[in-house]
Amino acid sequence: MEIRVKCRCGEEECSQWAIVELQGVVETQASFQGSIQNLEIGRLCHSDSSQGTYTFTVGYHELAGSKVTLKKPLLVLKKLQFDEVSGKATELEVVGIIRTKILFKTRPKPLISGNNLSLSLSLCSVLDWNKLKPLYCFIISSSFRVFKAIKLCSLCLFF
Amino acid sequence: MEEIGRTGGAEAVINLKSGSSVPISYHPCFGPHEDLLLLEADDKLVSDIFHERVTLRGLPDEDAVLCTESKTYAIKFVGNSNSMFLIPPPSICPGDAQVSDTNNNDNPLVSVLKIVPGNMELVEVSPRLDKLKEILLANPFGAGDVEAMMDVDDDLDHNGKRDLALYTWSDLVNTVQASDEELRNGLQSLSAIEIDGYWRVIDENYLDVILRMLLHNCVLKDWSFDDLDEDEVVDALVADEFPSQLASHCLRVFGSKVNETDKWKLEPRLVCLHFARQILREEKMRLESFMEEWKKKIPDGMEERFEMLEGEVLTEKIGIETRVYIFSVRSLPSTPAERFSVLFKHRSKWEWKDLEPYLRDLHVPRLSMEGLLLKYTRRAQPKADAPPVFSAR
Repeated sequence: MEIRVKCRCGEEECSQWAIVELQGVVETQASFQGSIQNLEIGRLCHSDSSQGTYTFTVGYHELAGSKVTLKKPLLVLKKLQFDEVSGKATELEVVGIIRTKILFKTRPKPLISGNNLSLSLSLCSVLDWNKLKPLYCFIISSSFRVFKAIKLCSLCLFF
Repeated sequence: MEEIGRTGGAEAVINLKSGSSVPISYHPCFGPHEDLLLLEADDKLVSDIFHERVTLRGLPDEDAVLCTESKTYAIKFVGNSNSMFLIPPPSICPGDAQVSDTNNNDNPLVSVLKIVPGNMELVEVSPRLDKLKEILLANPFGAGDVEAMMDVDDDLDHNGKRDLALYTWSDLVNTVQASDEELRNGLQSLSAIEIDGYWRVIDENYLDVILRMLLHNCVLKDWSFDDLDEDEVVDALVADEFPSQLASHCLRVFGSKVNETDKWKLEPRLVCLHFARQILREEKMRLESFMEEWKKKIPDGMEERFEMLEGEVLTEKIGIETRVYIFSVRSLPSTPAERFSVLFKHRSKWEWKDLEPYLRDLHVPRLSMEGLLLKYTRRAQPKADAPPVFSAR
């Protein structure tokens, strides 16, 4: 079995994708019924300070992080499946490339002051902060280590 | 704080100006999007991928490998416990174009399409060529095939051999996990040949018949072993009813080309080794009687030396008698772990001079021979001036 990795764009024209990475999980309130699509998660801010830091405000929490250029780029591949007369065929197509991510690896800072509150208030109704809090606590206790699991990919994954 | 212009998507995140901010939302098409995969690749590989020189190879039940033109990589999935929000370029909605069209106007500037559980990483590995050896040796090309080849009209000839699988180049690519270049090298080291579109190895006994006929012709026509003309050799062998393709293959197996000319020279080591294998086969022989019989088989003008058999035969001492038997590196697995396991099962302690010929062909990415020995063997030195002895770890 051979699966071709195709690419319709050249390296220069390939569209840039991005990743925002943070520790923990963002969850909606248990009572939230609507669709998650289009829901605002938070606000990303590139701060004025000379360090070039980024903040990500999610509800009552503010995360501080930075822009990281990936040592090795990540290619975004899309699995294409089509039925030919001869049978099923699979191809992978490059649809984008990720060279940078915004990484938030510090512990979240709770926001209490009135100024910032207005920003997070809008989210208050949809995100359950009581639920989010213990989650962050758990990560803090495990010394903020990123857990990575490695396993070999079976070819089945691509079919 | 002021929102940036209408660009949006990943651009807006990457190029977010200092002092500005942007809201991040779930994409109108947010979902698991299992058809989107992330692959980490270094710059050389990225360029190979953009030039469409990369494929994934293997059977459905195997671990996938990625092949460039010359290298093979294992694919590992690295899970990440962090939340990785994947942000596409603006107005892209893979898999569901309609939703993005209807929502185009109130589309949020930056949106998360998917939370990525991790990405794939590539680790360079040795090609899985043992399988190539296995499938080709299961059905070698022998005298029966020649008859069928010479006598194509004879449809009655169904001696069972026809039912065994034959492999074209594209069958091999679909079956063996190796890059094109590694596959070609693998076929060459097996002395395989493409006959009627199928890659075959030639049965050793049939090769023996051709070689002896070739040597016979050398004597008869007074040819030098170092100066053989390909056309003359092929014509002579065809006259003896060998297919011309196999006649020139015989030169390739037992000889080498003389600097860019059409002339060939027979390699004494390869010819002598062939006869040693023919004598020993499955047997263990007393060293003296083996040497005697071997000498008899070697054509005049060639000289046999025991060192020629490095990596092909082993000797063992029983009492005062030394016996010799076939133990060929070609029959051993090519992955280090399996190779060492077979070696130490065969013999628990190895001296370096015996062991080295059985390791010479092992090439493991990122691991030197020293590293291999450290990983798979225990080294002991009975006395300070004694040669080291290797045993299983």
